[in-house]
Amino acid sequence: MSASTTAGSPRRTLGAGLALLAAGCLAACSATPTPQAADTPADTPAGGGTYTVWDPYPQYDKTSDWVKLLDTCGTQAGVTIERTGHDTSDLTNKALLAAQQGNPPDVLVVDNPVVSTLAEAGVLTTTAENKLDTSAISPNLIAAGQSGGNTYGVPIGANTLALYYNKAVLDQAGVDIATVKDWATLTAALEKVKAAGKKGITFSAIGTEEGSFQFLPWFWGSGAQLTKLDSAEGVSAVTLWTDWLKKGLAPNSVINNTQTTSWQEFAGGDYAFAENGTWQLANAKETGFEYGIIPVPARDGGTAAAPTGGEFVSIPVQQDTARYATSQKLVTCLTSTDNSLTTVTALSYIAPTEQVQTRQSTDNPELAVWVEAVKAAKGRTGDDLGTKYPKISEPLWGAVQAALSGAKDPQQAMTDAQTAAASATQ
Amino acid sequence: MTRTAPAPTRRPASTRGGPVRQGPGHRRAAWAAWGFLVPITAYLLAFYAYPMYRNLELSLRHYTVRSFVQGDAPFTGFANYLKVLTDATFVPALWHTVVFTVVSLAFQFTLGLGLALFFARHFPLSATLRALFLVPWLLPLIVSASTWAWMLNSDSGVINAALGAIGAGPVNWLTSPDWSLWSVTIANIWIGVPFNLVVLYSGLQAISPAVYEAAALDGATGWQRFRHVTLPLLRPVSAITLLLGLVYTLKVFDIIWIMTKGGPSGSSTTLSTWSYRLGFGNLVPAFGPGAAVGNILIAIALAFGLLYIRLQRRQDPS
Amino acid sequence: MTTPRRWWKTIIGLALTGVMLFPVYWMINVSFTRDRDMRKSPPSWFPADPTLDGYRAVIDQQLPYLGTSLLVGLGTVALTLVIAAPAAYSLARLRPRGGTALSFALLIAQMIPGIIMAMGLYATYLNLGVLNTLPGLIVADTTLAVPFAVLILTTFMTGIPRELLHAARVDGAGTVRTFWSIVLPVSRNATVTVALFTFLWAWSDFIYASTLDSGGDHQPITLGIYHYIGNNNQQWNAIMATAVVASIPATALLVVAQRYVTAGVTAGAVKD
Repeated sequence: MSASTTAGSPRRTLGAGLALLAAGCLAACSATPTPQAADTPADTPAGGGTYTVWDPYPQYDKTSDWVKLLDTCGTQAGVTIERTGHDTSDLTNKALLAAQQGNPPDVLVVDNPVVSTLAEAGVLTTTAENKLDTSAISPNLIAAGQSGGNTYGVPIGANTLALYYNKAVLDQAGVDIATVKDWATLTAALEKVKAAGKKGITFSAIGTEEGSFQFLPWFWGSGAQLTKLDSAEGVSAVTLWTDWLKKGLAPNSVINNTQTTSWQEFAGGDYAFAENGTWQLANAKETGFEYGIIPVPARDGGTAAAPTGGEFVSIPVQQDTARYATSQKLVTCLTSTDNSLTTVTALSYIAPTEQVQTRQSTDNPELAVWVEAVKAAKGRTGDDLGTKYPKISEPLWGAVQAALSGAKDPQQAMTDAQTAAASATQ
Repeated sequence: MTRTAPAPTRRPASTRGGPVRQGPGHRRAAWAAWGFLVPITAYLLAFYAYPMYRNLELSLRHYTVRSFVQGDAPFTGFANYLKVLTDATFVPALWHTVVFTVVSLAFQFTLGLGLALFFARHFPLSATLRALFLVPWLLPLIVSASTWAWMLNSDSGVINAALGAIGAGPVNWLTSPDWSLWSVTIANIWIGVPFNLVVLYSGLQAISPAVYEAAALDGATGWQRFRHVTLPLLRPVSAITLLLGLVYTLKVFDIIWIMTKGGPSGSSTTLSTWSYRLGFGNLVPAFGPGAAVGNILIAIALAFGLLYIRLQRRQDPS
Repeated sequence: MTTPRRWWKTIIGLALTGVMLFPVYWMINVSFTRDRDMRKSPPSWFPADPTLDGYRAVIDQQLPYLGTSLLVGLGTVALTLVIAAPAAYSLARLRPRGGTALSFALLIAQMIPGIIMAMGLYATYLNLGVLNTLPGLIVADTTLAVPFAVLILTTFMTGIPRELLHAARVDGAGTVRTFWSIVLPVSRNATVTVALFTFLWAWSDFIYASTLDSGGDHQPITLGIYHYIGNNNQQWNAIMATAVVASIPATALLVVAQRYVTAGVTAGAVKD
């Protein structure tokens, strides 16, 4: 009796709550399809007006070379640029949301592994529609922007990973960098460094795409393929990292390190090696010690393919297709041979075209090693993986974390990862 | 006893239902009461109904990135719920959520209450120090959580340095599956203490000093006064503090996300970090399953909300 | 109570505050640390070779944002109280039908993940054309606090002695006057508490600011942190310095506001 009276009230409460919800839906749902307000910049007809540009470089403000370059390109095309810098991790969702609401930016700069996802979502125009010329771009760099025979953007610049080393630490340990040619010699060098009382190598194995990005040179360098994570080669790459941690050749903190954290460890001056990217070059000069750069070695010698990093400039689908012409001018301005050097210098990247790469090497011999690394690099979404890549990458970084933290042994971790990847991509 | 009382004396709980049973005077009072509620009702409908509906709708359809943009996702009923409930991540995540929530709440509340009682005895600088306890809330979570990650770093963290100084070995706070959940819980307790302190302190201030004077005249000791005066009178405020604390703790994802990303190997993944990872933490978002996990959390909060209302009714038979 | 005993408590209070604020100290420490020393093992307990690089960057770029944050914080507090206080009064004392359902809806409203709220508001704001405006951001920030404010104020207003409100009615005060001249002043403690948290939430909000105001001309200081978060690199000393600079004026406000939470507001009113 008493139970039934008390149980009645909550149910009625719930009913009222749902009624409130339904009423809210009526109000909000009818509001959604309204055409955009006239003051939204994207609605201004082509020819003059304001063009919106979204990029993942919130660190660059109005006084930066990058934003100045955007403004210059806008002036040349006869339009005003309204630029917003978003955090990289937010940008994909914002681009999807904006497209859903029919209010995409005119020009979108996004991280290269995201391009195939946005293309699949139907957010981006193909080069056939937007008339962008990509003929000069190196094939290994444009690959990340291609799927199903279409090209969805132009790389604005590229970067990749290599090993930075600290000359003083190696000298003290009696290691000649020329002897570091494969995994065995690298591990031997790390052991010598440790014996000399210094620290071995630091990298980033964090549980995000950053972790996969850092692991891939070793994974590919073992001869493994992303389509089969649990191959003997793949397991050997995980084992290499796991053994480094066990032997104290790499710090335990790598499991949670971002690439910035890992760089800060190296910049402390105690580490012999750090796996890091092109973008650290400026910071490397400020560390106060002599450093050098070698490519990540493959297991049995030679250079391992490192993944390409860097963004693509793309032109999102608009209701008003007349806008593409001006957007195309803007993108061409940013990526044309003449301006590309300015762009990549502004962003501290390596150019996507052979011609500009050569100019970068001659202007700044320090960049030569990075130009070579970028030439040897490989797109993550390449090998026809496309939108399958993210579904493989997540189990991959998970497996690396599981092995490094001791939750699973390398073989088990990779077997589980392969099962997860297979079920996600089927 | 009071629960079996006839219906009209119970507070009616629904806007729907039969005509108002009271007289015309009551009806005017009811109009006045709703007059005060008009702004909040409009506000709720305007700002929460749509996201709520959206979250529900996301969870009931099969969304791909393409159908998210084009808006033509097929309705799949409870498929997303079935998918997450049978996922290998679900049970550990639920367990982590329970541990994280219960331990956080217990410590936040006890520490908060202890501090509130301490600060209630006015002493020089007490108001200033109490205000300083709120400083952690001024910091965006990305800063405070990163600072914790910094302090708990295995190799260069200050906590391990301090442990080393007293001769204890280093602990892999964030990188060991055995410790990661405790580390994020500690950080969350730290975030939650000021909230409990300030709300409970205001609650203590609302207790009339006359009650204490009467208790003192009756010869009650400090502990007896706390046990028989403070605690019962603080009960409504304690209940709402715990309930809000529960809701906020269930919802926490940023602290965990920034400190460990829910890892290593899922060892600090709670339902809310899992929901975030599914929906937003990947290159390819899985909006449907992400929203489903979010709604499961809402259902859990709903259950506790009902419990709260029941307890409140029992205390308050008017 | 003798003076030495009171000071003894102050010392304990200082110690407790010290423990509580240690992470804040650590943040200050990092804000002065050079890049190369950031991951030194073992770490320095105080900045051994301090650098002002972080602060230089912040002073150059961030100061205008502080004003915006203040405006947003105070605006959010005002709007939250205007919406929440009458509602709490009605729920606590007038108890209309459906009141419980409403409290329930408020409780559930807080469970909606922030990012889903932000996405919903983004769509609405875009259609209304209030994206990247300060009023838009203020309204969005109130959604962080309104349910909390109503629930807390309701709890405290329920505790107001019945005699007090009865006396007002005998004096002929209507519902509105009772609310304005009796209930609100008596609820000062709860109101200050609610205002404090509302301000704190608005001040430290990141998700609404970045979703709804990332293209705005006036941005709150939390977005200033983005200046130091690159797509591959973060400048941690500048990020921490931003947080320190942002905390100083707000801390002053907290200290002042906390003085208004005092004992016996209700009791005093009864005696009058």
